[in-house]
Order: sequence, then structure tokens, then C-alpha cells
Amino acid sequence: MSGPDVKYAHALRAALDRALADDPRVVVFGEDVAVAGGIFGVTRGLHATHGDRVFDTPISENLIVGMAVGMAMRGLRPVAELQYADFVFSAGDEVFLKAATWRYSHDGAVDLPMVVRMACGGGGFGPEHSQCTEAYLMHTPGLRVAVPSTPADAQGILTAAIRSDEPWFVLEHKYLYGTSGPVPEGDHVAEPGRAVIRRRGEHVTIVAWQDMLRRALAAAEVLSDDGIEAEVLDPVTLDPFDLDTLVGSVRRTGACVVVEEAPVTLGVGAEIGALLMEHAFGWLDRPLVRLGIPDVPVPTAEHLVAALVPSVDDIVAAVRRQVG
Amino acid sequence: MLPAELRLRILRTAVLTRRFEERAARLARAGAIPAAIHLGTGQEVGQIAALAALRPDDPMLYGHRGAGYWFARGISPATVLADIAYREGGTNRGKGGVMHVVDPARGVLGESGTVGGNFVLGAGIAFADRQLGRDTVTIVFFGDGTSNRGQFHEAANFAAIARLPLVLFCENNGWGLSVPASVSTSVDDIATRAAGYGMPGVVVDGCDPDAVFAAVAAAAARARAGGGPTLIEAKVPRIPAHFLGDKEHYRTDADRQAAVDRDPLPRLVADVRARGLLDDDGLAALEAEVAAELDAAFDDVLARPLVAPATAFEGLYP
Repeated sequence: MSGPDVKYAHALRAALDRALADDPRVVVFGEDVAVAGGIFGVTRGLHATHGDRVFDTPISENLIVGMAVGMAMRGLRPVAELQYADFVFSAGDEVFLKAATWRYSHDGAVDLPMVVRMACGGGGFGPEHSQCTEAYLMHTPGLRVAVPSTPADAQGILTAAIRSDEPWFVLEHKYLYGTSGPVPEGDHVAEPGRAVIRRRGEHVTIVAWQDMLRRALAAAEVLSDDGIEAEVLDPVTLDPFDLDTLVGSVRRTGACVVVEEAPVTLGVGAEIGALLMEHAFGWLDRPLVRLGIPDVPVPTAEHLVAALVPSVDDIVAAVRRQVG
Repeated sequence: MLPAELRLRILRTAVLTRRFEERAARLARAGAIPAAIHLGTGQEVGQIAALAALRPDDPMLYGHRGAGYWFARGISPATVLADIAYREGGTNRGKGGVMHVVDPARGVLGESGTVGGNFVLGAGIAFADRQLGRDTVTIVFFGDGTSNRGQFHEAANFAAIARLPLVLFCENNGWGLSVPASVSTSVDDIATRAAGYGMPGVVVDGCDPDAVFAAVAAAAARARAGGGPTLIEAKVPRIPAHFLGDKEHYRTDADRQAAVDRDPLPRLVADVRARGLLDDDGLAALEAEVAAELDAAFDDVLARPLVAPATAFEGLYP
């Protein structure tokens, strides 16, 4: 990937800026997104550039997502912001019962070209502002789910989501907003449903995204010193999910570890494990390992969060146990 | 005052709606079609009069009581029955059933299955149409019980702030399924809640098509001119049980009879007769015409096959 280094938050902003400039049907809205520029600064400056098409809403999550559904039905391309990924539950009716079902229950009479962006993960935010809620969204038919990990994917997948005629939920990790990486210049669009192998290896496939991807890549370097070469797979989008790339990787490595920043029970790792049982059973030499948050809520204090969320050491130890 | 032609059109649509629902209820009770329909008996005149005051392209999210909304927009009885009975030729082919009849070209955009979901969708629809340069007014129908959902507050507040071209049309029949409004709702008149959002609130007799038409026409004119939303509360009777099979063990006979006594359809019939718009022969002809239309529609639709099982896999994505 070539191109100048760009921060993840700025890459998201660039995607929004370009979409607003290119398409008069795009509107950007949510709590504090206009003058303040969003609580994590992603939309800063967009109101000044694009005027009332970037606007603040009241503290009304049902309205934010419901309005996006209604707007999309009529031909706008709304990009709504929920400040925290936990707020999909505040807007549950509109997320799980409207965005997910409206096209289906009306047999395709309307499309829903809408995007909901939201910040997930991290510590210090408490049980209601820290969750990575992608498993709930992935579980729900009708919703498209992206978990971009790099600035390039953040810009490319958000652009793809805005141009898509389907309802997209884009989770942005709080710890990634300030990270930098190369972003291709020009009109950069990523293709949904294409996983990226971030590191090649032959002994184990580690599936991870966002902050867990950073930890998995760090763990892979430690493991390499032991002679264990981990392949690290970043799914980029969870719906659609790139099963082919996953199965192809596991066929080469014979082992799989999934690392996620969410409760283990019925998490994305559980789904990946089930998919591997169905599609790669013959190539698995060892049982799947799931790493995630033990089944407790996310506490507030950072050192308590650190005790729960898989660390680099946790990943190293798990892989050593699995393939050692 | 309604022009004669419009008054007769409202009557015809109301008769069509009443007779359609009577037939559908009979068939449902006999087990011939699904029993999911919630009859709108007594509320249809207000629904139809409200829609008569709007343009045919004004977006509508309807409530769950009755077929009047659809017939007022020109969707055929056969199409609606096909949706109710899961037959080919409906609008949603078994995916949404009677709750999700849809026809965007006629402004019929659906209904939230969770009552109250309409409010926030309606805000988005009104916003989008204005943003895209359409001078439409969006109408959201809802019941008195539904006004207690949180989405009512979120949508009303934002609609007032953004001066959205929106009409919130409450059909207050006094009951939220089995719970009387006196138990569930903090005010006698839902319309008084409008003041809390800085928008006009109007109470009308939902059995009086002239009053309903005038209120909606005024609200629509205001909205189209950029004046923002209006909350209209139409007082209507709850004549039928909440759903087919509801024994209404929670309701007194006197209350039910009081609702029947308020039935707007005989009142409208008497009205057109008194105005000399229709005599006995004319009324008989109207009923015969409606019966013939419904005979043909029901025969046609019930002879169709159920939608194919493979249909269940279609429609989720473009």
C-alpha cells in the first residue's frame, strides 16, 4: 500500500468530505457532529465546508437511526453517527427492527442506502461506552458490518459503505483514531467482503481486527522468535464475511486463534469456529482457540479492562499452548 | 366544507373499506386466511378524510387499524387481500403481510411493526423530501397508546426544531389494546402534548370528515409553506375488538355500545342523504358496486397460489 501517511480519524474525515462534495444526496448528522466536529473529532471542519448537510441532532438515538432509515427510503444517502457502538441498543428498534428488516418486509420496494458510524472499544469509558458490538450486528440478517483497522481501510470501506445501497454499520475503534498509515491518493474505495492477510505465516492463523489486530501482529513477532510463524488475518468486514480467505489460510496453517474485544460467548470467534467446523474440519490439526473478554461487562478502570481484554502476552501464550 | 364530489368519494372509499374488512374478518374467523388484520371499523372515515386533504404523492406511514389508508391511496382490494392472504400479486409477498402493504409511487411507505417506530422514520422522510426539493408533506398516523412511545418525543422535538413538513395524526380511540387511555396516558387530549414541543395541537371529531379534512388541510398548508409540523388528534370510537379473537373481557358492554353509537359511517350516509347527494337508490347502487368489486377481488385472489417458499430468500438486499 503506497500513499502518504494519514491518521485513521483523518482518513474517515476524508471519506466523508469527499462523499459530501461528490454527492448532494449525502448528509452527515448525529450528536455534536456539526460545530464541535464529533466527540472524537472525525467530522471536524465538515460543517464549515458543507453547511447544513452536516448537522447536530438532539440526544435522540432512536431518531438518529430512524431518520437515517426514513431518509434512505426517499433517496438521500445518510451517514449517521452514534457516539458509541453501545448506543445500537439505545436505538435498538431502529437498528435491529428497521434498518435490518424494512427492505425485506416490504419485499424490496425501497432500498436503504445508509451508514451508521460509531466508536467502539477501549478502556476508561465504562460498561455503556466501551463495547465492541459487532457480534450483535453480524448476528442480524440485513445489516452490513465493517471493522476497519487501518487508515486506508477506514477511508476505503466508509466510502464503499456510503456508495452502497445497503445499510452499513461501521465500527471505528477509539484507540485507532490517532494511529497513522499509508492511504492511497485519489478516489480510494475498498471492496467489502475481502479479508486482508496482514502477515504471512505457516503455523497458525490468527484472526483479529482493530485494536486486537495490533496486538496480534505484535504477538506474531514475539512468536517468530520462538520459531512459530503466525499468519494474521484481518477480516475488514464481518458482513459480508470472507470465508474463502479464512479457509485458505487455515488449510495452510492447520490451526486458528480468534482474538476479539468482546465477550467470548456467541461472539464473532464462536461464529468463525462454527464456520471452520463446517468448511475446514479436515484441515484443522488443533482445536480452535477463542480469546476475548471473559463473560463480564467492560469495567471502567483501565487496569481492570486490561485484566480482561486479551493482551499481547495472552495471545502469545495461547498460541504457544495451541501449537507448541 | 367538503365539495360534493369529494364527500361522495370519501363515502365510497369508507364503504369499500368497511365491506372489505367485514369479508376479510369472516374469512379469517373461518380459518380461510390469516387473522392478522386489525379492523379499523369506525376509524376509516377519519383516515380517508385526512388523506383526502393531502396530495396523492404526499408520503404516508399508516397505523395498524384498517384498510382505509390503502384504499384512499388507490391500492386495490385485490392487492391488499393478496398481502393479507400471502398470495401472489400483493406488495410484499408474505414478508410483511397486512402490516407492510407498500407502494412508494402512491406515497404508501409502510408501517412500523413496533407501534411508534413510524415517528422517527417519518421525520427522516419529511427531512429527505425537503432536502431533495420536493414540496411534499409527510403524514404519520398513530394511536393514542402509541403516543407513549419514546420515539414520539424524539421525533416531535426534532420535527419542531427543524420545522419539518410533517403532520402527526393521532387516532385516539381511547384504548391501547386492553388498557384504557385513562390508565396509560397522562393527558385527556394527546393534542395538548404539542405545546411541549412548540407546535400546534388540534383536537377534532374523527367521525366528522369535514372537521378532519379542514384540520389536515390547514396543517398541510402550514407545513408546505415552511411552518413546520402539526399534531392533530382525531377522537374516534373503538368499535371492534383489538384483534380478531380478542374477547374484550376487559371492556364493558356499555363502553362498546357507546362506541357503536358513534359509528361515523351511518352518520356519513345520513349526511349525504340529507344533502341530497345520494338517495336510497344511489346508496343501493353504491353498495352493489362495492360488492361486485369485492366479489371479483376475493374470487381472484383466493384462487391464486400462496407465494412460493423460495420467496422467503428474496428481498433482503438489492
